Formats: sequence, structure tokens, C-alpha cells
Amino acid sequence: MATNKDKKHYISRSESRAIAKENSKAIRHFEKQKKRRAKPEEYTTEMKDDNNIIEFEDLHTYFFSDAGTVKAVNGVTFSIPAGSTVGVVGESGCGKSVTSLSLMQLVQAPSGQIVSGSIRFKASLFKRDERGRKIPVYETETDENGEEKVKLNEKGKPIIKKNSLGGNVYEMEDRVVDIAKMPTEHMRSIRGREIAMIFQEPMTSLNPVFTIGNQLDEVGLLHIEGISKKQVKAHSINMLKMVGIADAEGVYKKYPHELSGGMRQRVMIAIALLCNPKLIIADEPTTALDVTIQAQILDLLRDIKHKINGSIMLITHDLGVVAEMADYVVVMYAGRVIEMGTAEDIFDNPLHPYTIGLQKSKPTVDGEVDKLYCIPGFVPNPINMPDYCYFRDRCEMCKEKCAGEYPGYVQVSPTHKVACYLYEETKEDGNGQ
Amino acid sequence: MVKYIIKRLLLAALILLGVSFILYVLMRCAPSNIIADQYMETHKDLPDEERARNLKALLAAYGLDDDSFFGILKGYFMWFGKFLRGDMGRSFSRSMPVEEVIGQYMWLSFGISFVALILEMLIAIPLGVKCAVNQYGKLDYVATVLCMVGIAFPSFFLGNLFIKWFAVDLGWFPIDGLTGNYAVGSSNFEIFLHNIWCLILPMTVMVLLSIGGLMRYTRTNTLEVLNADYIRTARAKGLSESKVVYKHVFRNTMIPLVTQLSFTLPTLFGGAMITEQVFNLPGIGNITYQAMLKNDIFLVLGYNMFLAVLTVIGVLLADIMYAVVDPRVKLGR
Repeated sequence: MATNKDKKHYISRSESRAIAKENSKAIRHFEKQKKRRAKPEEYTTEMKDDNNIIEFEDLHTYFFSDAGTVKAVNGVTFSIPAGSTVGVVGESGCGKSVTSLSLMQLVQAPSGQIVSGSIRFKASLFKRDERGRKIPVYETETDENGEEKVKLNEKGKPIIKKNSLGGNVYEMEDRVVDIAKMPTEHMRSIRGREIAMIFQEPMTSLNPVFTIGNQLDEVGLLHIEGISKKQVKAHSINMLKMVGIADAEGVYKKYPHELSGGMRQRVMIAIALLCNPKLIIADEPTTALDVTIQAQILDLLRDIKHKINGSIMLITHDLGVVAEMADYVVVMYAGRVIEMGTAEDIFDNPLHPYTIGLQKSKPTVDGEVDKLYCIPGFVPNPINMPDYCYFRDRCEMCKEKCAGEYPGYVQVSPTHKVACYLYEETKEDGNGQ
Repeated sequence: MVKYIIKRLLLAALILLGVSFILYVLMRCAPSNIIADQYMETHKDLPDEERARNLKALLAAYGLDDDSFFGILKGYFMWFGKFLRGDMGRSFSRSMPVEEVIGQYMWLSFGISFVALILEMLIAIPLGVKCAVNQYGKLDYVATVLCMVGIAFPSFFLGNLFIKWFAVDLGWFPIDGLTGNYAVGSSNFEIFLHNIWCLILPMTVMVLLSIGGLMRYTRTNTLEVLNADYIRTARAKGLSESKVVYKHVFRNTMIPLVTQLSFTLPTLFGGAMITEQVFNLPGIGNITYQAMLKNDIFLVLGYNMFLAVLTVIGVLLADIMYAVVDPRVKLGR
């Protein structure tokens, strides 16, 4: 046993070769999956609950690394109700970001791959005819006989209806898609248009060699078909104004390096908002910013949520931010959801020892504390995870039963679920799924 | 910007002054020079004493007579003073002024190098980007191995190998360089075509040997950019992979590439000494090589100064190009 432990971080050459072989096989398989030509029917599914716009179910995202398979997301199940803000919290390396990147199919390929599970998303996609083309909606007029007719231009071609931005109007259809099974090519029409993402590092998230205007316009020109460059520019400047940039025309012409971090994050938000997405993923949007700017950015996000009437998936390790913003909270640990519920559930009645630890390690203003609490130990090595509660070795309330297999979910209240043996006796019926 | 360029030009003058001095001293350290050799060769019948006296007087006219430190210094100022006035001395091996030799033979070298450089860029840069995008793929491995082979091959070896295969065995190309073997009464265009045909082999060798470095450089830079955060942003916008690579990635890869390519200015005009010699082409590199064998110090000095000036201009050009392609760089301070 002791020798085994010593060898934990050492991989022999034959082992490493075996890993490399397995990895390249797995990667080739998943890359092929992503590049395949698929019919939309292949990834169309049904929502479990019609009020949700996103449902993660048993999502597994692995990284096939040289040292072994890292199960960064290992069976995550939660959902995002329409029009709500869901906060995902947990310490560094617990899989929050990878969960959100999986939702965008942006996990660092080729080593990172969605292995199994499903991500259901209620998308509104373009309706296509038999030849895969979008079906435009034509401008109509009523002629003398009171009949509705398609309006024609001078050349006798029908005029396509324009929306308020100046883009063509196409027939749309609401369809639930499984993003985990979607080929990347099809995913592109969802990225940026239906789901937009704001990244952690505003300083490096904008391309340094293009102007802000160029980077904004790009999204509009891509997703709003038939829009002219002039209209896109006007729309982009409008968006910059909406995110609280006073000199929008000036910023439009500037390069990213000429702006401060807070301004760049606003530009990122403007890019995200450009196509009125249904869901905005904010991956630690304020981590790289100083506190005053943090508050402004959070206010802005809240404002915008009301304006576009969408949902926000807010990823953070800052419990203060979650308390302020989120309606629902999902606590993740080592690639799994360990507790979830409404913000009140989690903050007033934290159940999982890890959540309690997180709460305790938050600095407070009231009350004198000599030393800030800290959860002992580290997140376990994600390669070769044991099949018992991952938190067991750090847990202060550890019981005998914890040596057993990974605990299932216990439904504590209609909104509150926790994966811990401590609560199993109190609610024996609980197996929340 | 203008202020910066003026400052850099003044600095360049200082650098050239230093370079010229070092070059001159080095050349004077050589055991012999062409003037002495030629005089001794042509006046064998004179008595030794008279020969020595005459030679000293002759060398004094070129400032080459005194090998003490101050003598060399005096000779240097004599040569450099003329250099500033545009007189680079006389090449005794070619019996022409040095500036005329450079002016006459430079263009062939430039033509070959220029075409080779264009071909090299057209092949190496797209290949590098492709390899980076398909890292560890089949194309990547094959291209990398071939590039390594290209980098490892010496030009005289590959050149001779090509002459053996394509000129001697297959007879597709002439054996030594510009033959001038065209039919009497050929039109200018026919002569031009003939010359191009003669130059295909040396150009191929130059391209094959230089692709490797540039391709690896492009690949490394592209890989670095591919992992940048803003590329993830570009993907998150929903852009197609080709747009991501050829707009967002490539524009950033170009920054170091353009700088790198600005440094090739000296090689563009300076000729490829060894390749030209293998194929016996009358380019500036080959001419200088022959001059060097004959101790023709003024031509060698002039050629090296020419390279030094080109290098200084190349560096300045690289700086300016850097500011052109990267908006973050502001020249001025």
C-alpha cells in the first residue's frame, strides 16, 4: 500500500504509452463526432420542464491528458429556468468554467471533450426548406381586391421583410436541441446569437489588432443577415451606449489596448448583447476587476437581464456576488454538483459541509474574527477519483457511512437538493432527480 | 514617427562608422593584398630593391603602406573619406570601381533571391498555419520532418545533388548557371525565358532550404495565438473556423512574421554566396567570393559595407513595419 502511494505521481513508460494510445483513440472518436454531418433531427429532444431554457443532465466532460483522464465535469445535473439568474459557485478547479464552456462547445479541444450526458437548450432556429436554406418572410401588401399579396420590387422579385435593425426576417421555429450531441458546424448559429459568453479576463479577451468597432460589427454581420454595414455600426454604437460607455463613437474607433479593464469588460458585454441572446454566460466576469468596477459591472448585468428578458448563468467563486445577483445557486465540488437550491436555501440554510465551509470562509465586516476560516486540505487530484464522497478527506462532519459509494441527492425541500449522507436519515425518501 | 526615424538614422550612421572601422582593420590584418600581389607578379624582371621601393610608393597612394596602428588609422580615414564621397575604391580583380561592380552584379542576386523569397513565403506561411491548426496531425508530422531535412541540408550539397540529378543525369537544365547558349537572333523575350530556365535549379535549392525555418516559425507563432483568450472569444461569437484562423489568428501571427521578413533585406540584395558559387552564377555573392580569394580588399570592404547598410535599413524597416501591423506599438520615444 505504501509503495503504491509513493508511486502515485509516477507513470512508467509503458503506462504513459498506453494512456497516449487511449487518448488519441478517444480524441479521434469525439472529434469525428463533432465534425460529422448530422441532420437536425439527430439532436432534437424534449425539455423535462418547459420552464427551463437549459437543462444539464449527467454531463461528463473529460480532459484526456498525458497523465490520465481528468474528469473535470463528472455527472453534472442542473437546470436554468427562463428569466432567472443561476449562480454556479465552487473553488478553483471544481469544473464551473468547464461546465459553461461545454454549454458553448468551447472546451479546449482536442484534449477536452464532452464525453456523455446531455445539455438541452430551447433554441429558436431558422426554419429550413428541403435544400437547407432559410425561409424568408416576405413583405406583403393588400391590393385593391382586399387580398394580401407579396410585395415585389422593380425587378419583380419579392421584398424580404426587414426587422427594426434592418436585417432580413426569416421564419423561425422553437426547437429543443441537445448541445452535447450537436456538430460544431450547427452549434455556430447558437453561439453568439442565442447564448453569449462573457469571459473572465477582459484584458486578453479582445483581439489586440482589431478596433472595438470591428469586433462588435463582426457579430452583427454574422448573425443578422441582410443588415448593411451602416446599420450594424449604428447598432453596435447603440449597444456600447447601453452598457454605459459615454463616448460610444470614440470607443468604437479605438483599439482594445486604449481602454481600461472595466471598459473592456463593458465592450465584452456589448458584444454578448448584440444579438439579444436568451442566455448570457458570465464566467467570473468581475474577478479581474477592482471592487468599484465590479459593482458597476454587476449592476450592468442585472440591468441588462431585465432589458433583454433573458437568463444569466453566473460563474463565480465570490459568494458575495452570488448573494447579490442569483435567484438559484449551484454549488460544485470536484466536477460534481453537491448542493443546489434557491439563493435563500443556500445562504440561510447551507447543508453540505462544503457549502458551510465556503460560507464560513467568507470575510465579514460585523463581528471580530481573529483568523479567517479556511477549509483544510485541497481539492483531490482529478485523475483516478475515488468512488466515495470527494469531500470526505476534508470533511469535519464525516461519518462511517461516508466510506461508501458517492452519495445520491437528498431532496430537502422542493427547491433544495444536497448530495451528502448527513441528511439521508432525515429524508429517507429523498433521491432527487 | 518622423522624429523617431531621424533619430534612428543618426544612430545608424554611428553604427556604420564603427562597423566600417572594424571591417577596415580586419582587412588590413590580412597578410597580403591584391595590389602587392599584382605588382609583384607583373614586375618580376625588376631588381628586388627597386620593386620594394616602387611597391611602397604604390601602396602609399592607397593608404596601405604602413601597418602600424597609426598607419592603419590614417589609411582608414583616407578610405572612409572617399567612401563618404561615394568612391568605394577600385576593384583590381574586376578592373572596375567597387560601386560599379556591386551595381552590375547585384541585380541578378536580387532577382533570384526575390523570387525565392516570394515562393518561400507563399509555401511556408500557409503550410505553417495549416500545421499549427492540425497540430500533431499527419500533415504536421510530414511537413515537420521534411522541414527538418531542409534545414539540415547544406546548400552546396543539395545544389550539387540537384546538378547531378537534373542537369547531368536527366539533362533538363544546363549544368553551370547562366550559359548564354541561346540561338543567334533570339528576341529579348526568348533570352529572358532562357535565363529563367537556367535559374530554376538554384532558385529551387534556395527555396527548399529556406522553407523549413519560416514554416517552423509560422507554426510556433500560430500555435501561440491559437491558445489566446481572444481566439476563444472569436469562437464564442459563432465565427466559422476558417474565419477564426484566417482573420483573428493570422493577423496576430503576422506581427512577428513581418518583422522577421524585414530582416531578410540584406540577403535579398547581398546574394547567396555558396549557392551562386555552386551554380556558377555571376551574382554579387559569387563575385565577392572570388575577390576574396584574390585578396581584393576594396571590393570585399565595399561589399561588407553594402551589407552593413542594408542590415541597418532592414532593422529600421522592421521597427516601422512593427508599428504598422501592431496597433499597440507606437514609435516615438
